[in-house]
Amino acid sequence: MLFSGIPFLYYFLPGVLIVYFLMPNKLKNGFLLLVSLLFYAWGEPRYVLLMAAAIVLFYSYGLAIGHSKKPLARKLWLTAAVLTGVALLGVFKYADFALENWNRLTGMGIPLLRLALPIGISFYTFQCISYAVDVYRGEVEAQRNIVHFGAYVALFPQLIAGPIVRYVDVARDLEHRQSRWEDFAQGLALFLVGLGKKVLLANPLGELTSLFRQTQEPSVLYYWLYAVAFMLHIYFDFAGYSEMAIGLGRIFGFRFPRNFDYPYISRSITEFWRRWHMTLGGWFRDYVYIPLGGNRVGKIKWLRNILAVWLLTGLWHGAAWNFVVWGLLFAVCLLAEKWLPLQKLPVALRHGYVLLIVLISFVIFNAPGMAQAGEDIAGMFGFLGIPLVSTQAVYYLRSYGVLLLAGIIGATPLMKKLWLRCGEAAEILQPVGALILLLLCTAYLVDGSFNPFLYFRF
Amino acid sequence: MTKWKYWGMVAVAALWLGIALIAWVKIPDALSLQERRPLAQFPEVRLENVGNGKFMEDFESYTLDQFPGRNMFRRLKALTHYYVFWQGDNNGIYLTQGQAAALEYPLRENSVDRAVKLMSGLQEKYFPDSRVFVSVVPDKGYYLASANGYPAMDYEKLFAKMAAMKNTSYVNLTDCLSGEDYYSTDTHWRQERLFNAAGRLCTALDIPAPRQEEYRAVAAAEPFYGVYYGQAALPLKPDRLYTLESELMDQCRVYNYETGATIGIYDREKLKGDDLYEVFLSGSVSLLTIENPVAETDRELIVFRDSFGSAIAPLLVQGYKTVTLVDIRYLSSAMLGRFLDFHGQDVLFLYSTIVLNNSETLK
Repeated sequence: MLFSGIPFLYYFLPGVLIVYFLMPNKLKNGFLLLVSLLFYAWGEPRYVLLMAAAIVLFYSYGLAIGHSKKPLARKLWLTAAVLTGVALLGVFKYADFALENWNRLTGMGIPLLRLALPIGISFYTFQCISYAVDVYRGEVEAQRNIVHFGAYVALFPQLIAGPIVRYVDVARDLEHRQSRWEDFAQGLALFLVGLGKKVLLANPLGELTSLFRQTQEPSVLYYWLYAVAFMLHIYFDFAGYSEMAIGLGRIFGFRFPRNFDYPYISRSITEFWRRWHMTLGGWFRDYVYIPLGGNRVGKIKWLRNILAVWLLTGLWHGAAWNFVVWGLLFAVCLLAEKWLPLQKLPVALRHGYVLLIVLISFVIFNAPGMAQAGEDIAGMFGFLGIPLVSTQAVYYLRSYGVLLLAGIIGATPLMKKLWLRCGEAAEILQPVGALILLLLCTAYLVDGSFNPFLYFRF
Repeated sequence: MTKWKYWGMVAVAALWLGIALIAWVKIPDALSLQERRPLAQFPEVRLENVGNGKFMEDFESYTLDQFPGRNMFRRLKALTHYYVFWQGDNNGIYLTQGQAAALEYPLRENSVDRAVKLMSGLQEKYFPDSRVFVSVVPDKGYYLASANGYPAMDYEKLFAKMAAMKNTSYVNLTDCLSGEDYYSTDTHWRQERLFNAAGRLCTALDIPAPRQEEYRAVAAAEPFYGVYYGQAALPLKPDRLYTLESELMDQCRVYNYETGATIGIYDREKLKGDDLYEVFLSGSVSLLTIENPVAETDRELIVFRDSFGSAIAPLLVQGYKTVTLVDIRYLSSAMLGRFLDFHGQDVLFLYSTIVLNNSETLK
């Protein structure tokens, strides 16, 4: 079930909210766990048992780590927890990729598993691993109540697309949160802003990228139009979904961490990754990069650490070579930024460099394979022997011009600055804006059938 | 939080929950008149359906189709799409020169090739010795799309493929029509403006052309909301549908093989229905024969056609004793021999670019 779908917006969520706010506080986590499993089962009936098993296992690991007095036992339980998480991802996400490559290398014909990827497995597995590590490090106490822990892992607002919420961030809210109208109102407003980004910007821009793939009239302009549209699409798709998740969390009394902070205004790739999918970057920093030694090691080891983190970041997004290349491209850029004096370049050039790298990276990211990625990049730079412009490209540039402009403006803090300048008027404008967004998003959803969500595949 | 914001957000939440409650209790509609299609109903709850996710998919369709105020929301989306975001088309429908038209592109060459192969097969199997004519009805995009900056299929390539059919004569209609010869809210052409196109076909078939002065255009009482009206979801002005009447047409009888009924050349009952265009030869019927009781010839014509053929066929009857219309979208071409006796009749393949570009519908 997608947040940006009529079944969720007008059936599931209102029903859940009515019951949730009417029931006693002590039953709320149980109810959230139940409806979260139902939410998950709606999209993935077969794998709800897998998620239940993950909850039971990591709950047990947490208790075992927390209760063990001997460091070796604690380490062993932690290792078991991490291996369980890695095994879950390995079997369901990476096994076929590994087998394909093994078969290609050796000429063997080991049959592929062909398992469907469980929705959100990358998110909830990372949350479970972080929980076990945090208990091991003594940053949090192990949760004794499996219902509370289950509610944390399965909590539907952040279940399928993050943000990656660490247990430590919501441990208090799980047991002592309050239901306040202010939180509900702020959460609803944030949810509707996220919904607007997804439905009014990301979906139409996604349509443009699909139209490009069907064209029989490729042109250099069309390749660029596609690249820019996809760059904006993936941002508004994911950032919109994250905001919906954060808004929903707030409605229920949780404070989820921010996941995006205008990444396209960055002046370096390092800064970009501090603003893009912040919870994933933070996770890799705290659970991979720093444990490996971070930058407080020799140059060779540091290089290894950077490459490892970005290889894993690439693979986290998908089990395919283009994701590996995508991750490593950022690794190379980050290393270049450490070694070259890029910060001495004029600001405009630094913005331009970041946007170009990110644009090309997302062309690689969205291609069905490296061959297509190469063709797309060649098309952008006129190496395919295609015309500069075509009727279709001009038509779609005209047709999507306002949306692209709105996307570009929306990807900067300009609107936020204007909003803050409104002062007290913003208090009046917020409900009006929320109302307009609710009605417009409903209208687009009722009329439209194009409503995919990219991060489902992670 | 100020009082205004407090109560403003209460109102937004109340509206949202209110719409949700209405959606839960609303009695489902059976049909969408605007879109001319049955609406999804609440899906069957079976363990198998739930297990394989079909129930969830069908439930989503149900919620979209049965959403309270659906047409109003569709219109709001269309207005925003066109007039706020300035998008060129909504659901593939664009507005230009007072016409609503569909983006028909790209050319699907495989589809056209399939249609050509199917027609050649019919010719070889049923009427190898007949005079066979091929003509293509351009959709209105031919006149409107490129000229107004919209993407268009490669029409010339399509026409060339049809003209290259072996042992057939190709009749070009493109210069007999213009964008104004089509209903502004519908895909179809206007019968009262087809004298040039009919004349071109008659010349090729070697029969007398219809004489415009012998016909009078009679307006339907009800406004005609064409198929693009529903798809565009915009407040478009409806068309007025006209039928051509003449002494000859009054005398012609139409035999419907599906119902076994014989009626006049226009099925006026259809003027009370949802799609007024069905007044022309009863709309989607697989097999019909128009009999001309005052024909001064024994010549017969078989027209393989789509819905465009319904409006122009009555303008060909003056040259034939019978005109039989076959729609192989609804009748398998392999079964034609059971219903029709082929004995050297003239044969005309008359298909629109839309059907040729989507020839999977031809059986």
